[in-house]
Amino acid sequence: MRFLLSFAWQDLRASGRQLWVFCACLMLGVTLVTVSGALYRVVNNSLLNDTRALMGGDIEVEANQALSEDILAWMESRGKVSLTRELNTMMGTQNDEFLLVQLLSTDSNYPLYGQLVLSKPGTIQSLTSFYDGHWGLLIDPVLAERLNISIGDIVSIGQLDMQVRALVLEQPDRRLSANWRAAPVLISDEGLEASGLIQPASLIDFDYRVRTEIDSLAWKSQFYDAFPDSQWEVRSFADRSQRIAERLAQIASGLLIVAFSTLFIGGLGVFNSIHTYLQSKLKTLATLKSLGLRQIQLTQLYCLQIGILAGFSGLAGIFLGGVLTLVGSQIIAQEIPLTSALLPFVLAALVAWLFGILTSFTFALPALGRALSVNAAVLFRGDSKTPATLSSRWLLITILFSTLLAGLILTIVPDLKFGLGFIAMTLFCLVFFECIVRALKKIAFSLEKTQWFQSHITTKLAIANLHRPGAPLRTALLSLGTSLTLLVACTLIVTALLRLINTTIPEESPALILYDIFPGQTRDVEKIINSFASTEYMTLSPLVRARVTQINGQPISKMKFTNEGWQEMARDEHKLSYLSGNIDGVKMVEGDWWPSQDSETALNEQVYIVMENREAHQMNLKPGDKLQFSAAGQNIEGILTGIYSQKGLQTRFWFEAIFSNGALDPLINRYVGAVYMSNAQALEAQKILARTAPNIISVLTKNIVDSARSLLTKASSGLVVIASLSLITSLLVLASVMAAGRRQQIYDATVMHSLGARVSVIKSAIRREYSLLALITALFATGLGTAIALLLLEFRLKLESSDLIWLGLATATAASSLVFAIGANYLFRHLKISPAILLRDNET
Amino acid sequence: MISLDSVSMNYQLEDQQVSVLSNLSLSVSKGESLAIVGPSGSGKTTLLLLLAALETPSTGSIYVNEQNLSYLSQDDLADLRRDKMGIIFQSFHLIPSLDALSNVALPMEIAGNADARLIAKKMLTRVGLEHRVKHYPLQLSGGEQQRVAIARALAHSPSLVLADEPTGNLDAKTGHNISNLLFELHKDMNTTLVLVTHNEQLASRCQRIVHMQDGKLIEEDTDALSA
Repeated sequence: MRFLLSFAWQDLRASGRQLWVFCACLMLGVTLVTVSGALYRVVNNSLLNDTRALMGGDIEVEANQALSEDILAWMESRGKVSLTRELNTMMGTQNDEFLLVQLLSTDSNYPLYGQLVLSKPGTIQSLTSFYDGHWGLLIDPVLAERLNISIGDIVSIGQLDMQVRALVLEQPDRRLSANWRAAPVLISDEGLEASGLIQPASLIDFDYRVRTEIDSLAWKSQFYDAFPDSQWEVRSFADRSQRIAERLAQIASGLLIVAFSTLFIGGLGVFNSIHTYLQSKLKTLATLKSLGLRQIQLTQLYCLQIGILAGFSGLAGIFLGGVLTLVGSQIIAQEIPLTSALLPFVLAALVAWLFGILTSFTFALPALGRALSVNAAVLFRGDSKTPATLSSRWLLITILFSTLLAGLILTIVPDLKFGLGFIAMTLFCLVFFECIVRALKKIAFSLEKTQWFQSHITTKLAIANLHRPGAPLRTALLSLGTSLTLLVACTLIVTALLRLINTTIPEESPALILYDIFPGQTRDVEKIINSFASTEYMTLSPLVRARVTQINGQPISKMKFTNEGWQEMARDEHKLSYLSGNIDGVKMVEGDWWPSQDSETALNEQVYIVMENREAHQMNLKPGDKLQFSAAGQNIEGILTGIYSQKGLQTRFWFEAIFSNGALDPLINRYVGAVYMSNAQALEAQKILARTAPNIISVLTKNIVDSARSLLTKASSGLVVIASLSLITSLLVLASVMAAGRRQQIYDATVMHSLGARVSVIKSAIRREYSLLALITALFATGLGTAIALLLLEFRLKLESSDLIWLGLATATAASSLVFAIGANYLFRHLKISPAILLRDNET
Repeated sequence: MISLDSVSMNYQLEDQQVSVLSNLSLSVSKGESLAIVGPSGSGKTTLLLLLAALETPSTGSIYVNEQNLSYLSQDDLADLRRDKMGIIFQSFHLIPSLDALSNVALPMEIAGNADARLIAKKMLTRVGLEHRVKHYPLQLSGGEQQRVAIARALAHSPSLVLADEPTGNLDAKTGHNISNLLFELHKDMNTTLVLVTHNEQLASRCQRIVHMQDGKLIEEDTDALSA
């Protein structure tokens, strides 16, 4: 073995340079698998490491009012209970800056799990109590930085000026940073009461967390049995873990599939590269056989070489992956506080390395099997051709490795469906492209024989090159086609999203969005807004929160739940409103509006309802169903006439049901509004509103657009990195295809040249052949890539994108042309070799 | 040492059977030198391939050191080549990634001989290349490469040396020097030498010459050397 290792190493040192494509392809594949795997593990660990602490308890009961004493007593008999009241409001600084914050008032049991870490010694109670003439509050460091405030500064909350007493360095039940949503501000119960923000119509969430030894699912079930008519949302940490895990698994699976696709494409490069390398080693192989090296030793020798190359390339991939993971995790850390990335990275790197080794062997084995089957008699006869077919033993080993690789993919991909889909899609692609290749070869073969081609020799040669043995058609379609498909899909998705952010939102969005306007404040708000010269118009729309209580006369509580989603949906509060100038930009997709939606309809007349498609479909509703909603102890019944969709990112309020005018009047205790005015004056209006009506939450759309653009830019950069690595891999694969076919192609060209064909004719034939290949590859990549992107954009993101097909075609054609132009140029440079030398040596 | 008993070799070419060797019997004694001569396509190379156990006869038996090659496994045949045979090719077939010393040591290292490099060095000195041990094949002249190949074929003291046109790729002067070296070593080491050649002068230095035509032995010169 020592001899084999030493020989393998010496041989690689002397001639391993030929294998740079092998190394590069594998390195890039391993890089992507490492990055996606490591980032998934880091985020997963950060969010799921301790979901009990993240949720603040084993069970969470969410209500919009305080629970009655008997329910509280029941809960306390089954564990330790902690109440957190949450209220969104505006916080102002001494510099007149206002920002949306989430006030949290906690009791002495908080937190039930984990530990609150503050920048100053003391408890929440002591630090938020009233002294030095102010109530105290504790704020998120990101918020402090954004508003440029520090400990001891005075800020305004509601009607009060409060003092910042400490920064919250770690809050166990909050892992999302202030960049993500309203920043948390901890305040005492008494301080909250004194702020004047708690009014009868105030939207306060009462979160009761329970720490219990009872199994969370059993607790939940007992709660529903004890209080069957309750309408509160009850969640266990297991539900939450499951939901987060499912979402993360889907995202990570998507990324990993892209990485595996790249590794698969890279695998083709590995095959071509090792095939070319072994072809140059046939005489060495035969010499070793004639010197008495056994077949098994020869196999070990070249497997050692593949192992050494794969091992080192994998390590390089891990290093590059490590750098990208570091960059990626720093970007993610701006949104989610991450735990240590070292262990997840090491695990992901090991897995990626294993994938690299397995992929290289899976793709190298067929080439190795053919090369090792060469008879040592070639040394005497000068015939150094490898067998065209693979022996059954090598075929079996290759299938075994492929199965092992597929099995590992299924084990590693978090979402099994993605893994199975990828394997099925890969097999489909292989069969599909094989059929296309065979069909094209047949067509090329038939075309070549037609009369027209007989008189057009250059085109005839180009067509002949498509079907000749060893033609690059198969590899070009399979490797470059797959990677271009990915590139087209990424381009279309990124373009559609960027276009949405850059054009649609600024054009159609209001400058200011208002929440929580009490009915008595609407006139004042209108007065303030209309005092600005740039105000174009303002739309106010009621917002009523209600639950569905009956469907077609049957109480929800008596209906059998068909699934978990249905149950949660039925218990969920829905946001109801009027059409009010279509503030949400909804579009009917099923059924229709009621006959006269613009006319005033009294509540005692027929009530009509339209619902948002996702909610309606989850509840299995259809136009014509009779629904009963309940809000604040009152019931409203109406007929569902239609189902609408919202315009994805453009939507501001996400109304879940729109009622015919007047139907909600008795229930309205809050309005939302959209103001169309200049951004500069919107900022002024926000300040005035915050000072005069502190309960009203106002958000500048510019801020939303900016943060959406920032997020999208980061996501786009990630996609661009992935697409670039994938494209580089495909370029390398193409280089390997060129290298594999170069010897034969140059030899054929030289023979033709010796027979009298002009170099210009030969070059023209090659140009035409490559143009044909570029066109065929671009067409298939456009077709598949566009189909993938459109499916995702139309059905998942609900973005109109059919006009982007041309962009897809342009991208694929440009990339494909570029790649083949580089390939042709490479070939032309090698055609400068003297025919005399070439033909004498039969060597290029 | 070597015995061929009614050996025939046929190839299947599409639906036709092509006979390359036909009912050939031959024996070579230990220490003897034998030249196989004949025109192209007469079956000389096939005969050498059979002796090197790189091909299997269609019918008949081949004995090397009393062992019937037909009964040996592929691994046993590889071991036989490794331990008992040395092969010299017309195109040298040195491993380009190994220097001269490593090339000569190769068969012994395959056999696990701990003194491989020491013996190889002595052998290179013997063929006059002690100053070229660290040179790679591409850095050596044709004659030097063939000297390395001869050293490699003889370093492990094989009982049988098979040579395929050993001077075919060399100029006359170098070829003459190489043939001198080959026969000198054959004599000193008492090996059996079978060589295939077109070169009458080289063939004449062997103790026996067999002439082949159309896969058959047509003539045997039993004491060429003395003639």
